[in-house]
Amino acid sequence: MNEVPPPAHILISSIQHLLLMVTSLVIPILFASQLGATQEFTASLIAFSLLAAGIGSIIQSVGLPFIGSGYLCPNVCGPSYFGASLAAAWVGGMPLVRGMTVVAGLVEMALAPLIQKLRKLFPIYIVGLVVAMVGVSILAPAITSFFGLSFRDDAIRSIDMLIGGVTLLVMILANLWGSRLVKMYCLLIGVLVGWTLACILCPEYWNDLVAAKGMPVVAAPSMGPAFGGITFSLKILITFVVIAIIGSLKSFGNLLAAQEISEPDLKGTDFAPIRKGLLADGLSTVVAGLLGGMAVDTSSSNVGLAGATKVLSRWISVAAGVIFVVLAFFPGLIVVLSAMPKPVMGASLIFAGSFMVTTGLQEMFSESWDARKTFVVGVAFFFGMSTAFLPSLYARTPHIMQTLFTDPLATSTIVAVVLNQVLGLDAVFRRLKGKGD
Amino acid sequence: MDEETPDSVRGFRSTARGLHGPRLRLALSFAVLAAFLVLIGGCASRYDELDLTMYKYRDTRNLVKFVYDASRILSRDGEAGLSYLQSHRKDFQTEGFYLYVYDAAGTNLFHAGMPELEGKNLWDVKDKDGKPAFQLAVQAMKDPSNPHAWVQYSWWEPGSFYPVPKASCHFAVTTPEGRELVVGGGIDYPHEEPEFIRIVVDDAVSLIEREGAKALTGIADPASEFVYRDVRVFVFRRDGEMVISPAINSTFSQTNLLECVDEAGQKPFVQALETLKSADSVWGTFMAKSPYDTRLKRKTLYTRKRSCSRTKRST
Repeated sequence: MNEVPPPAHILISSIQHLLLMVTSLVIPILFASQLGATQEFTASLIAFSLLAAGIGSIIQSVGLPFIGSGYLCPNVCGPSYFGASLAAAWVGGMPLVRGMTVVAGLVEMALAPLIQKLRKLFPIYIVGLVVAMVGVSILAPAITSFFGLSFRDDAIRSIDMLIGGVTLLVMILANLWGSRLVKMYCLLIGVLVGWTLACILCPEYWNDLVAAKGMPVVAAPSMGPAFGGITFSLKILITFVVIAIIGSLKSFGNLLAAQEISEPDLKGTDFAPIRKGLLADGLSTVVAGLLGGMAVDTSSSNVGLAGATKVLSRWISVAAGVIFVVLAFFPGLIVVLSAMPKPVMGASLIFAGSFMVTTGLQEMFSESWDARKTFVVGVAFFFGMSTAFLPSLYARTPHIMQTLFTDPLATSTIVAVVLNQVLGLDAVFRRLKGKGD
Repeated sequence: MDEETPDSVRGFRSTARGLHGPRLRLALSFAVLAAFLVLIGGCASRYDELDLTMYKYRDTRNLVKFVYDASRILSRDGEAGLSYLQSHRKDFQTEGFYLYVYDAAGTNLFHAGMPELEGKNLWDVKDKDGKPAFQLAVQAMKDPSNPHAWVQYSWWEPGSFYPVPKASCHFAVTTPEGRELVVGGGIDYPHEEPEFIRIVVDDAVSLIEREGAKALTGIADPASEFVYRDVRVFVFRRDGEMVISPAINSTFSQTNLLECVDEAGQKPFVQALETLKSADSVWGTFMAKSPYDTRLKRKTLYTRKRSCSRTKRST
């Protein structure tokens, strides 16, 4: 985790992580398209988001004394904030998005010191469940991308399935049967093979790459008039606070997974780096708001990739962060990386997500099991997955449930934590009775 | 001898030696495969002359290509082409859509999904909302702002009985024998393409320009092409007063549209008017809430101004 690999190895591994990180650029692109924004606005939003995510990744992993986990756990544009940011943009434009993103970041930072107090709330088996659900949370974008879809209900092309299938197969086979070097770069190899195949078989993907030709090579991100100022609104404060809490829980899961992968010999959970990691996550979100980018979050898929390749040096995350910062000044390169064919993107997310899910399950079943844990995990899993299978059902529930039961990760975490406390009341009662006797 | 040979030359020889036999064959096979794939990828597409950039969804683009292919067969082979369609019926009915051919008078000549319609005249057939589907197709083919002659109506699936919303595109074909044909195909439960909305709003503007205030009755008619599924062309004045309501067939409730806010608290009509100060048309969005979804739903609003007559129309 702390060793410094040779420069070439750092560079190639960070590019490998970068290829996963750029998949998150779809969030500012989608955000701008929902607003009907101009190309200049979109370019600025991507550039500022890259800057924020890059700075966040560096702070998270470089090993500063009071902030940052020191794990390979880079920052990307956070999907959790997408809906709330869009609502803020409607009400008050980018100034309000910036202001509310800063508020959300501050809430995340305020929550960080409390994480140590959560030790009893998050026993190992619940931590495992949270980590597994982090993997599940990327299921929808991973599968829709794998089938080459931009819109969920659109037609699926056989060629996209072929590209996605070949990419995933190359990644898996490189990981299973490759030499040490091939194993380390299995995702990069898969992406290169898949991308080449896509450009040969499908002119559309080649044309997406050619679009970068007209872009300026180097350009400083400019803050246009749409980004000017920072404003706040009490009306949408609660929404942002709730999302900040959910974002913290997600980052908590990511950091726990990163710790599990990076320090497998650790007995129990070491909350100090997780607290520092959450603080860095919050600060990165504040930076994103100040710069004018989308809110950032820790990346589940990159933690999964680290687990898959067993390459865990935090310097790779730092290098990926530096490249993200540099990329913000190269709009042509951003267009090239954003043009990664959807099936290749989907295969990469499935590959990384597989490790998240299995790491969580291994963690969950690593300790002795009993009926109480069965009900805590089982019931939490049922309610968590129900938000994905039956989203319309929750639209008819009381408002508080609609706010908390938003997706599988947040829902299963809340239900598991509450059930663990409730079903553990007998032990508390026994302890109290013992003291009384 | 080898000891005197420079490293680079030795390296080249060893590489060349290594490429003999099975390795060489393997490398050659890869090269041939790559060349084949490049050849496939580099071939010009038969759809190069079709502009499909205005469509967001692949389903829509696929349908236009599907109907276009059939129109090329008929314009090239004429009556023989029609016989070809009839003898290869299954090729012209996919899971998503099917092909049909009419003559200019509305008599069905070929229907991949409902062969029982062949030989029947459907000129006057109307859907459940009173839309004369074939007449609308003929009208759409003459409309320059509707390049693929889209028509929105209700129909039913072959072998079934319940109505399904449908969007069909059409191509006019003149066979080598000089016969005028209408070739079309439709998609059930179509995606809401912004292009569909642009077509009806632009057509409404043209109608008002041609007929003035008289056109408003036709635009508000639910049986017209200006009202379909949950889309409706409506008209309002610069001060927000409604001429045709976006929701009902009356303006009894004089809500001022400029005062209307969406679920995110924005005023979409105020924003649209602001942009229209320097543009002829504007695409906007507003957020709506469904009782069956926890998330807000994004809806599209296309607004065009017509400065000469104080009216604006949008969907």
